[in-house]
Amino acid sequence: MAGPFNPELHVDLKRFGAKDLDMCMNCGTCTTICPMSEDSGGGFPRRVIRLVQTGQQKKLESSLDPWMCYFCGDCTLNCPRNANPAEVMMASRRYLTSRYDFTGLASLFYRNPLTEIIAIVLVGLFITALFVFLHGPMVLHRVELNTFAPVKWVELGDWIMAGTLSFFLLAGAVRMTWWTLGRRDMLRVSPMIFIRQIPTFFAHLFTQKRWARCGSHPSLIRWIKHLLLVSGYLSMLTLVLILLRWFQTDHVYPFYYPQRLWGYYATVALLYPTGDFIVSRLRRKEPIHFFTEASDWIFLVMLFLTALTGIMVNVFRVNGFPMATYIIYVIHLAIAVPMLVVEVPFSKWSHIMYRPLSIYLAGVKKAVADSTGKGSDAQALEPAAAA
Amino acid sequence: MDRMNQSETERCGNQPASEPRVGVYICRCGGNISDVVDTDHVAEVCKLIPGVTTAKVHTFMCSDPGQQTIIDDIRQEKLDRVVVASCSPFLHELTFRGAVMRGKLNAYLYEHVNIREQCSWAHKHDPRGATAKAIALISAAVGKVRHSRPLEKIRLANNQRALIVGGGPAGMKAAADLAACGLSVLLVERSNRLGGKLASPQRMFPTGAASGEILSKLESDMRSTGRVEVLLSSEITRVGGFVGNFDVTIHGPLGPSGSMTDTNVSFGAIIMATGFQPYVPHDGEFLFGRHPAVMTTVALQEALAAAPEGKMLKVNGHEIRRVAFIHCVGSRQVEGVHQPGTDGRLNKHCSRVCCTTVLNQALQIRSRFADTRVYDLYQDIRAYGRGHEQYYTDASRAGVVFFRYHGDEPPAVTAEKDASLHIRVKDYLSWGETLEIEVDLLVLAVGMTPGPCEQIVDQLKLPRGEDGFLQEIHPKLRPVEISVNGVLLAGTAQAPMNLQETLAAAGAAAVKARSMLVKQHVELNPYVAQVDANLCEGLGQCVAECQYDGALKLIETSRNGRTVKMAEVNPGLCVGCGACVAVCPNRAINVNGWRLDQYDEMVDGLVRELVPA
Repeated sequence: MAGPFNPELHVDLKRFGAKDLDMCMNCGTCTTICPMSEDSGGGFPRRVIRLVQTGQQKKLESSLDPWMCYFCGDCTLNCPRNANPAEVMMASRRYLTSRYDFTGLASLFYRNPLTEIIAIVLVGLFITALFVFLHGPMVLHRVELNTFAPVKWVELGDWIMAGTLSFFLLAGAVRMTWWTLGRRDMLRVSPMIFIRQIPTFFAHLFTQKRWARCGSHPSLIRWIKHLLLVSGYLSMLTLVLILLRWFQTDHVYPFYYPQRLWGYYATVALLYPTGDFIVSRLRRKEPIHFFTEASDWIFLVMLFLTALTGIMVNVFRVNGFPMATYIIYVIHLAIAVPMLVVEVPFSKWSHIMYRPLSIYLAGVKKAVADSTGKGSDAQALEPAAAA
Repeated sequence: MDRMNQSETERCGNQPASEPRVGVYICRCGGNISDVVDTDHVAEVCKLIPGVTTAKVHTFMCSDPGQQTIIDDIRQEKLDRVVVASCSPFLHELTFRGAVMRGKLNAYLYEHVNIREQCSWAHKHDPRGATAKAIALISAAVGKVRHSRPLEKIRLANNQRALIVGGGPAGMKAAADLAACGLSVLLVERSNRLGGKLASPQRMFPTGAASGEILSKLESDMRSTGRVEVLLSSEITRVGGFVGNFDVTIHGPLGPSGSMTDTNVSFGAIIMATGFQPYVPHDGEFLFGRHPAVMTTVALQEALAAAPEGKMLKVNGHEIRRVAFIHCVGSRQVEGVHQPGTDGRLNKHCSRVCCTTVLNQALQIRSRFADTRVYDLYQDIRAYGRGHEQYYTDASRAGVVFFRYHGDEPPAVTAEKDASLHIRVKDYLSWGETLEIEVDLLVLAVGMTPGPCEQIVDQLKLPRGEDGFLQEIHPKLRPVEISVNGVLLAGTAQAPMNLQETLAAAGAAAVKARSMLVKQHVELNPYVAQVDANLCEGLGQCVAECQYDGALKLIETSRNGRTVKMAEVNPGLCVGCGACVAVCPNRAINVNGWRLDQYDEMVDGLVRELVPA
């Protein structure tokens, strides 16, 4: 028996981007054509679309299917009704993100992009104000960034921010885990199963290797670009969170020094893919770029600007423009911080957690099913009567 | 013993004055026959059959030279009977009858033998057997044709006026088309207004036109001819007769006083435009009749017309937040699942119009009342007509949510305490999962059942299909004719149709009626029963056996100064079935063209031993 029927669910999903959802006549072409559907045993995208159409909110919230889709767009290209199944999967990921988040901010930002922009501006102004009122002495005859913004204070701010974001993100992850596995399974399963699956999480966090198998040729290229982006992003996080004292120096090292080379790599790895994605979304040539929600634009533009201002700080510093360095440094942080604060727990960035976690949880579910000696289908998760 | 003697007398008495001269023509059919049947041998043997004057073989009898051979032989050999042994009579019987007529012989002094389908094709691995069978069949045909009598088509005076039963769109369209051809039409309508089911206001698919506009156009088309007489509040109480001469009694407010009287009128043709009745769910079917929030699509049509504009649909003052439609109520019924109607019959047919009707209504609700959610529970969406599919597309786009159930597992409806309804549906779009829906209104998409026309159907013996609707002769080749000659079908009396199809059918019926009514006389095939006045003793067994009212009756006549009873045939009503022939102990009644003495000869012919010299 299905859970309570939420007749507004399909209306709700439209606000998350599934605008053509109602056109679906459940022919199943999308599921047949989907390269990922079969080995996930999910019957998606149609199963996800049907859950939305029939208002089965609880089932949708406990489904991992939306995270198994990497948006190759084959389903959308072949949909006879132009219902855009890939976009429904995208929208359901946004919806799930907003449901995992207990604060309600994600839901607010996705449904009303203006609130997201306001939040970013507010955080940006807060960062700017911090520097305006609390910055250190400004040395103007040469660049002394660490005098203007002492690295120990910046590092402290970094850690406060990282801690806060991790809290919200982990809270979301806990909700996702709870809903997906169900209470009974959570408590019944041996902890060893959870531990044994941990490598899966990190493997997918760093590689997104399932994506490489998804869809046709353009998807593979996109995966490589995305991989580049991830490496740039993780580089930047490492440099800023762990190696900030080494990275933010006033000494100008030679060009080949790892500190500079790594920074340049991260810059290129962020600028090239984001720039490329922005151009593709403007051209709308591939299904994944047919529709761009405000949340997508904010994400891409903010990331691009973060990398751009970051490299500008470096350029001004290395070439000895003190005032320009300090101003662009403040701008850089006024962009990077709100991007992280708003995007990581409450918007698109959160998929850095949910994507690998979903595959981890799918692995746990399968392990549970195997351990109870049943098939790997969803029913196997029902507790065995004998046990 | 007496009977034997009589029979012998009959046979001898029927012997032609002079021995007939029969020509037998055997076709090779370009090898189709002659590759198996030894046609030359057949011709040689056939010459031995008593009465055969000449027997010839031709590669293609149906060709011009082949036919000319027959015509020439009739003149030169003074033939007075012809037999052609070739393909199926369906193919060329009329061809050779024509040739015989051109040879100035009566067309009914001809017999056709099928030695292709029945010999060479059926027995191609047994040439000797096929050849022997061909000889036997020809021998039988020669025997029969020797006793054939010249026949003429039956000509009867034609009453060049049409009766149209039913004043709905089909009746009005047929009346208008017939009258436009200059024919006089009487349209009889049971109710006190024209329009039938079209009279209730609604927006029609697929054009969105208002029913009232279509109706007034139909009526003005009909009235403007000046040749259509319309009788409202009138019923047909009796109908008899046959094509060209139907006698009808109409009960209605006739004459200057307008009082209810019976009037007898004659017509040449009758068009049945008696329409359909919407299926009425039985008490409790999906809580129909037991819960105020359950209604049919017919009732919703009226509710929609009366509903005030707003954010939410209001029915009887109640706000409808959620409405569900269930398709196929009273259609596509399944044995063991659905309850048969009062006549014990299940409506197994698809009513064809309900799917698009539901989509049309769902779309109207979604476009007029933004806050009313619509659920559609279907088996199949059969939006088959031009433009109908757009309704499905538009309904989808408008956010109508569809659920698909199987016919043998219909949705279950229960009443909730808060006056809403609870629907459980095993949804095959959700992998057979049972889903639960709460609604404030449930609309049953009722199908079509045959309209009331029992009186006429019984009296004219009109055939009905398994679905109870009047049945055409052939669904493709003769789609608006029924097996009673002179009666035509227009619209939903025949089958569920939408308005477009109904009007097309009515137009076709009008054309068919016109082709019958323009002639001064009606011509009927001569294969009807005939009574031998010398043998009939007026026993009346044949009359009792006859299934066709008025085709046979006992009359009193005088014979040798005595008044005696005798059977009499009405050739207009007789269909030549032969039931009377089988029961007459005196062999006093026969079907022309298929007389008993001909059967005797055919049997003799089949067993005749023929050995060539």
